[in-house]
Amino acid sequence: MSNKPASTSTNWEIGPIFRAMLLNKVGAILIALQIAVTMSIIVNSVYIIVERSKEMQRESGVDTANSFYLSSLGFTPDYNAIITVEEDLKLLRSLPGVVDAIQMNAVPMSGSGWSMGLQTQAGAEFDGVGTAVYMVDEHGLNALDVALIAGENFSATDIGVRTTGQVEWPNKTIITQAMADKLFPDDGWQSAVGKTVYINDLEPLVIVGIIDQLQAPWVGWDNVENVMLSPERMDFKGTRYFIRTEAGARDDLMKQVEELLAQSNDGRLIRGMRSLQEAQERSYRSHAAMIKILSTVMVILIIVTGLGIVGLASFSVNQRKKQIGTRRALGATQLAIVRYFMLENFLISTVGVVLGAILTIGLNILLVNVFSLARIEWFYIPIGMLVLWIVGQVAVLGPAKKAANIPPALATRTV
Amino acid sequence: MFNYYLKLAFKSIKRNLILSLLMVTAIALGIGASMTTITVNYLMSADPIPHKSDQLFYVQIDSWDPNSPFNDDNDLPPNQLTWTDATNLTHAKQAFRQSAMSRTGMVIEPAGDDAKPFEASIRLAYTDFFAMFDVPFLYGSPWDAKADQDPQQVVVLSKATNESVFGGENSVGKNIILSGKHFQVVGVIDDWKPMPKFYDVNNGAFDGSEQMFMPFSLRQALQLPNWGNNNCWKTPEGEGFEAFLKSECINTQMWVELPNVEAQQAYMNFLNNYVMDQKDLGRFPRPLNNRLPDVMQWLADEEVVEEDAKMMMWLSFMFLLVCLLNTIGLLLAKFTGKSAEIGLRLALGASKADIFRQHLVETACIGLLGGVAGLGMAMLGLQGIKSLYGDFIEDLSALDINMVLVALVIALLSSIAAGLYPTWRACNISPASQLKSQ
Amino acid sequence: MLKMTDVKKVFRTDLIETHALRDFNLQVGEGDFVAVTGPSGSGKTTFLNIAGLLETFEGGVYELDGENVSHLNDKARSQLRNEKIGFIFQSFNLIPDLNLFDNVDVPLRYRGFNSAERKKRIENTLEMVGLAQRMKHLPSQLSGGQQQRVAIARALAGEPRFLLADEPTGNLDTQMASSVMDLLKTINDAGTTIIMVTHDGHLAQQARRNIYVRDGKVSELNEVEELAISQVAVG
Repeated sequence: MSNKPASTSTNWEIGPIFRAMLLNKVGAILIALQIAVTMSIIVNSVYIIVERSKEMQRESGVDTANSFYLSSLGFTPDYNAIITVEEDLKLLRSLPGVVDAIQMNAVPMSGSGWSMGLQTQAGAEFDGVGTAVYMVDEHGLNALDVALIAGENFSATDIGVRTTGQVEWPNKTIITQAMADKLFPDDGWQSAVGKTVYINDLEPLVIVGIIDQLQAPWVGWDNVENVMLSPERMDFKGTRYFIRTEAGARDDLMKQVEELLAQSNDGRLIRGMRSLQEAQERSYRSHAAMIKILSTVMVILIIVTGLGIVGLASFSVNQRKKQIGTRRALGATQLAIVRYFMLENFLISTVGVVLGAILTIGLNILLVNVFSLARIEWFYIPIGMLVLWIVGQVAVLGPAKKAANIPPALATRTV
Repeated sequence: MFNYYLKLAFKSIKRNLILSLLMVTAIALGIGASMTTITVNYLMSADPIPHKSDQLFYVQIDSWDPNSPFNDDNDLPPNQLTWTDATNLTHAKQAFRQSAMSRTGMVIEPAGDDAKPFEASIRLAYTDFFAMFDVPFLYGSPWDAKADQDPQQVVVLSKATNESVFGGENSVGKNIILSGKHFQVVGVIDDWKPMPKFYDVNNGAFDGSEQMFMPFSLRQALQLPNWGNNNCWKTPEGEGFEAFLKSECINTQMWVELPNVEAQQAYMNFLNNYVMDQKDLGRFPRPLNNRLPDVMQWLADEEVVEEDAKMMMWLSFMFLLVCLLNTIGLLLAKFTGKSAEIGLRLALGASKADIFRQHLVETACIGLLGGVAGLGMAMLGLQGIKSLYGDFIEDLSALDINMVLVALVIALLSSIAAGLYPTWRACNISPASQLKSQ
Repeated sequence: MLKMTDVKKVFRTDLIETHALRDFNLQVGEGDFVAVTGPSGSGKTTFLNIAGLLETFEGGVYELDGENVSHLNDKARSQLRNEKIGFIFQSFNLIPDLNLFDNVDVPLRYRGFNSAERKKRIENTLEMVGLAQRMKHLPSQLSGGQQQRVAIARALAGEPRFLLADEPTGNLDTQMASSVMDLLKTINDAGTTIIMVTHDGHLAQQARRNIYVRDGKVSELNEVEELAISQVAVG
């Protein structure tokens, strides 16, 4: 090895590399652009994936793993809904493995339900707060697995009977903490117990209790945490039952319940048997799909960009064989050759990721404006830059090693 | 000469097989992704009734709350009508054809002892519904217009319902028991599945059509439940079904057929007069805001195309862009590698135009190969979308011949666009510089 | 007949101008065999490139077969190149993934001959250079001398009036070189005008006429000088 002057460290050749790149501007620009667009897609995709995952991980409020629901539809002229419901509930609650069962008008995450507005002052001129309505009896809290954090539960005597087309509401309600916060933003949810709110503009309801958390039937709704419970039994031909089971008993009970109910009364139809878990999967199916699609796209994009860099680098090595041989003949070590190509790629990638940062923000602004997505958080951008730097360096490593293996003798050979 | 270029193109593709495969794959991926999302968007935004979509109009009148508009962001009137208004307007018969409609369901009890009862969705409509939407009939015909006035228990079955209840035979004139009541079958329609289901986008824009059809007048007579979307700004005045039906709650759709501009103007005037008359009765507290969107306008207003689908289409175009940038780079490299051959060909008498054409053919070949492979990828992609999204997308993920052509044209055009610069560079090399031994 | 009068060629970069040809004058008659010699960088190759219409020039007049070619467009120049000029290069410049038949075919394609005519010409010329049996072989399967014969066949297939050769034997050993040279002489005897650029004095002597290029100008030599040059070149 030659004696290097102590003062000079390794010569990084940035100047010559940069000047050589200027001679092949177009190739370098193409890679930089590709890296930039790839980065903007990947970073925004990751952001969308994270946002959607967060949404999917929200608590539904109910015991999702151990609950299911079904519909019962009476169709014969002599069908008596009230008697059937009482019998059904008695049967369901007596089954071993069932924690509790209730009649319900709608089910969290099921996609269909009722909504109403509650307001703190009476009168059509005042705005209400939108809320989902679940009609339950005194077993509601237990079946739904929600905790009462203030006030009291409904008692059996509170439960009224709702007929088809009924307009009147019972005079009590239990609401979620989130709903209480929205109704009484100044005083806080604790103050809500005992307060009177109005439904249908004028009809007073007293808030008797507050539960910790429960989702509305529509997971995409802005007010998904706004829920009110209404103490009612429904005299409807079509109705739903919500059943909570002990851990692990759900699947067997679903089969058992379907048979039992169908046998108990042939004037009605049992259908729509579905676990809460399935309801959750269905509600978030498009999110899950989006996450899978975007993940696939990201992986493919990185591969395409990586292979593109490999292809161009291999090509450039082939083109420069003689030059590389000459460099080796003039004393360049293998490491120096590898370093040359890595450094060249690093310079191009740097231009790419800086451009990519701008594009990423641009694409995000577009997505925010057109699709009302949330604005991206800043730290995604440096992470994205880092990832693409690494992709570039890994991609160029192979061709660079190939270049380093070119024998110095090539310099003297005419091709 | 074209054949010669073709032969050279394949020689050249074979020579740099890995590079060529990389390009074909890149184009295929880009085209595959774009075609998948374009297909979904195309089917979501397709014209469901192309021959008369500009003559069918959705009736919108603003019966909403005086204190707040139906739509906060735009001033569009409510997306449905009250039962009262839909009935009044249909009975006025001021359009060429008209029908109020809504969705309900009943339980079918098949005749056999073994057959289990099942629930069926029902479209309540006027007899004009069938002529207006050109619903094809397999057996029988729509019910008589009299049934629209005095409720008769008649029913038109879908082909599938007729198959499950009557085994597919001509059931016209037969009896069917629905929720304990006897109905007479008057007709069976053939396969009919407008996509999107434009006539009622609020209740599943991509669901199939209903299993049965029956006169709208039965809704009141039999107190049929409302299976569709219902919205109220005002509490019904009184208890019970009748009060709900006659409330200001909106749960009914209405379509009219208006064959020309005069008819459309006349109908708009009629709507305005109707609303003014109702104002005298103390209804319609909001300013006059009536609309008559045609089918495509209505689908656009209701934003039937899913946001996610649009977003994915945009992202897939960017994906295609990356793949094309990739291809430009690789083509540039490839053609640079051919400098010596190009120089030689120029020396042997090829004009620049010859060289340009030769490389254009080569690029187009790569593009077409990419396009064909991309079609395969699009089919895979659509299959994937189907498995990810489930049944609702079933009818939105079929490649038709138009899409196949679009895919090939996009592949060809984008690859040629990608090839232009490299080709231009290729035919502008100086021949003399390439002929000396290096 | 080929005639250059006061032809000038300047190569410009950002920094320097190089006068490759200055007032270059030359007339080559029908059926002549001219050897062009001169030191490296004297302008020999530039002259050949201009003669072959591969490069443009700045000043003067160049007439090929009585036609002034100074202001022709790319298409016309390509056509002239295709029909009247054949090229032979030092490194043969065969296209590696085309077989011999297809290599010879290249200029004929641009000529627009039909396939029967092309086939006939390809077979005839390959026959003439003695490689008709190896038509389906790839260039890499041949020796250097054979490859140069294919290149000659390719140059002759279009029956050009002029054959331009740039160091045609430069990459060949002595034996192969002399056989290629013999072939060129035969071709010349058949009536084709040949201009050959070479370093090799021996080779140059076998031509009918010698010209010497220095500093972008022609100096026609007498016998004594020629001999001296050739000795320098050989030495």
